Amino acid sequence: MSIALDQVTKRYQEQPVVNDVSIDVGEGEFFVLLGPSGSGKSTLLRAIAGLTGIDHGRISLHGRDVTHVRARDRGVGLVFQNYALFRHMTVADNIEFALRVRRTKAAERRARRKELLKLVSLEGMDERLPGQLSGGQQQRVAVARALAHKPQVLLLDEPFGALDAKIREELRRTIRSVQRELGITTVLVTHDQEEAFALADTIGVMNHGRLLEVGNPSDLYAQPATRFVATFLGAANLLLARQAADGIRFGATPVSAAGAEPMQAGREHEVVAVLRPEEVEIGATRDELTSNYIARGAVEEIVFTGALERLRVRLLDEPCAAQLLGPSGNDDARLEITRTQHERRALPLAQGAQIAIGARRLHVLPTPLSSFLACAATEAEAAELAREPLLESLSTRMKTRVGLRAIDGLTGTPAPFSGVAAISGGTEAASTVEWLLRHGAAEVLVLPRNAPSPTRVYIHWTDEAARRATLAVAASLLRHVSAEAVYLGIVPEGRPGSGRAAPMRALLDARSDAQQHHGLEMRTELAIGETVSELTRNLSAGSAQMLVLGITDITQAGSAYRSLLAGQPGWPVLIVYRPPEARTAPDVVSGTAA
Amino acid sequence: MKSVSQREPSVIPGFGITLGFTTFFLSAIVLLPLSALVLKTAGMDWSRFVEVIASPRALASYRLSFGASLVAAGVNMVFGFALAWTLVRYEFPGRRLVDAIIDMPFALPTAVSGIALTTIFSANGWIGQYLEPYGIHVAYTPIGITVALTLISMPFVVRTVQPALQEVQRDLEDAAETLGAGRFYVFRRIIVPTVLPALLTGFTLAFARAVGEYGSVIFIAGNKAMKTEITPLLIVIRLEEFDYAGAAALGFVMLAISFVMLLAINLLQVWGRKRMMVSR
Repeated sequence: MSIALDQVTKRYQEQPVVNDVSIDVGEGEFFVLLGPSGSGKSTLLRAIAGLTGIDHGRISLHGRDVTHVRARDRGVGLVFQNYALFRHMTVADNIEFALRVRRTKAAERRARRKELLKLVSLEGMDERLPGQLSGGQQQRVAVARALAHKPQVLLLDEPFGALDAKIREELRRTIRSVQRELGITTVLVTHDQEEAFALADTIGVMNHGRLLEVGNPSDLYAQPATRFVATFLGAANLLLARQAADGIRFGATPVSAAGAEPMQAGREHEVVAVLRPEEVEIGATRDELTSNYIARGAVEEIVFTGALERLRVRLLDEPCAAQLLGPSGNDDARLEITRTQHERRALPLAQGAQIAIGARRLHVLPTPLSSFLACAATEAEAAELAREPLLESLSTRMKTRVGLRAIDGLTGTPAPFSGVAAISGGTEAASTVEWLLRHGAAEVLVLPRNAPSPTRVYIHWTDEAARRATLAVAASLLRHVSAEAVYLGIVPEGRPGSGRAAPMRALLDARSDAQQHHGLEMRTELAIGETVSELTRNLSAGSAQMLVLGITDITQAGSAYRSLLAGQPGWPVLIVYRPPEARTAPDVVSGTAA
Repeated sequence: MKSVSQREPSVIPGFGITLGFTTFFLSAIVLLPLSALVLKTAGMDWSRFVEVIASPRALASYRLSFGASLVAAGVNMVFGFALAWTLVRYEFPGRRLVDAIIDMPFALPTAVSGIALTTIFSANGWIGQYLEPYGIHVAYTPIGITVALTLISMPFVVRTVQPALQEVQRDLEDAAETLGAGRFYVFRRIIVPTVLPALLTGFTLAFARAVGEYGSVIFIAGNKAMKTEITPLLIVIRLEEFDYAGAAALGFVMLAISFVMLLAINLLQVWGRKRMMVSR
């Protein structure tokens, strides 16, 4: 591996800005770190360059551990957004800077400079000063300067940010060709997905300091595993659908979907599906569609953008309309559609036109957290619970919605629960959890009042059968909060010495499972003692902690964990319940959220 | 630049008015007194003029005035830079306070600073009493004069270098570091050249201020002829003797030397700026 990052963490004032990031970049690979501003991507790049120290983890370049090596000894070339050329030096002096520092002979320096200027097509510019060059030319000089000392790794921090569109494209081509010609391992940081697609062999998407997904551009676009990647790489409509025995159902209509997997543990459940705007088919009537019909819609807005026509459509069939997620999970969500000129000519549309909508390709996200359902004695209390800061921020970040449900008295047979049921903490919480689980809820989030967004999330399961599901839920949760993940393994007391090896192995298994199948980087800790008291002890050890707890026995929630859920002020606890039958149905496919 | 650019709307009214005002203002405040000085000098005959300006006492005073001013400006260039660096680069408690104290020499009446320095550095003063046993005399010597000049010209360097340092991008240092440069190399080859124009300006201003200083120096100088007598003091002495022409002649010489030195530094800067091409 040319660049290997192993669980790199960087905190600013206790807040992780780079959170347990592990990346392997192969020899000669062009790796693009893509993310919105503040996602930690630039900090990570600076950490690779050695300009920012890290709090945890290891960085190695070409097999050499450079975690504690100074920037000037790392042998990397770095290109900045604002060029950072030395303005009092000529182009020649700028490029030769690294060679002068190394006391290279003048003739050798000149030869190298000529070579580099040719590489970035700036021959004859040697004696110019940076101020006499255009922005694009300055950035070429910066690239040449960064390559002068033949670094093993080239790092580029938003190198096109300050340039206009045309020059940007030209320079992009130059950098790509230089990279190919030299075969140098390159990491580029950008917030521009188009740039990432144009340049990358591999893209790593970051958000909230976490590396969410890594893959080649077309795979990431076609089969994103997370909501964030789905919506950040191009436009995407997110839909809530139900996975039933006979396939995916959107509202009342069954649809076929790519990426749909066999049902987990034989239970019908809610899933999040991605429908790309260009994968939507429009027909005047349902019969005209060649793909799966999903709903009827009314055209609300038509925008002409040149090659494409962009439509915003309101879904008309009630059960379907409610299943479409808006940018923040709100109710007035609209379906985004793009059509080519060819499609537009075949069916010209005016505002207000009613159409039949079909989905050519629907991709189901492997995330187990689809939506939230705030449950309380009355609808009003449920609405209040939905306004809890943690729940609100989670649903906004997940771009999903929070439904309301009154569950007065815990009697009768309730309508099926979908998504994560959320209830408020307190002495009643344990029995409510038990009741919800008995009536079909699979995940329950117990929220103490005004719980802050966690900075550390503990993960624990009572039975190995719940491991996969718990890890999947934890991974999905941790993509949306900037917190550290810690798996807590607990060994009962009274098994001194001899019994330690097995729990240690379980710990390592858990970590590699989380890494490989769920894209989740987590630490592991081992505690010795009784489960509930160990959990309580760890949760009380710091502020803003949270627990994801996997169980296979409903009565456990009602009895053993009563004190955990009733604690004052208490911690948010997300209970993941998988019935013991799951043991017999190996859900190998369901956990491929990489 | 095309001539059209003058016609472009601007906040300040017309070119004609502004140029007229500039000329008038410069004439009334700067040129008129200076020409009076030249006229007064012109009233002397040549041999008398030479006799006045080339007298051993006058020559000694030039040496002291310009020498001490150059040393003071030089000292400030080094320590003013360090001060500015500290203020720009570090966040520490009391930073705002230090920042405010920098301007104090501007506000203090120069006589007050002179008296204060004399009190401290005289043979039995707070600091003077510890220096005295080692044979270091500060008050009433050229050293004292230099100390006074350093004090009153210090803000000029700090205040001109500060904004320039703020502009040196951290990225430049980071870039140099990834290219393999050590700290000292970065300082010498990147930071100093980048702030050099500002540093020179600060030096010029400090020097100009020091040459013209009178108030603080006369208290700490002791004013012994040939030894600790600065030119401005000599001018005052001539005035007190009602030798107006002699005073004017000395003033004229100071003016001429200062003008040549300032011009030289300015040209140096123009040349430097051209090299930098500050077309940001």
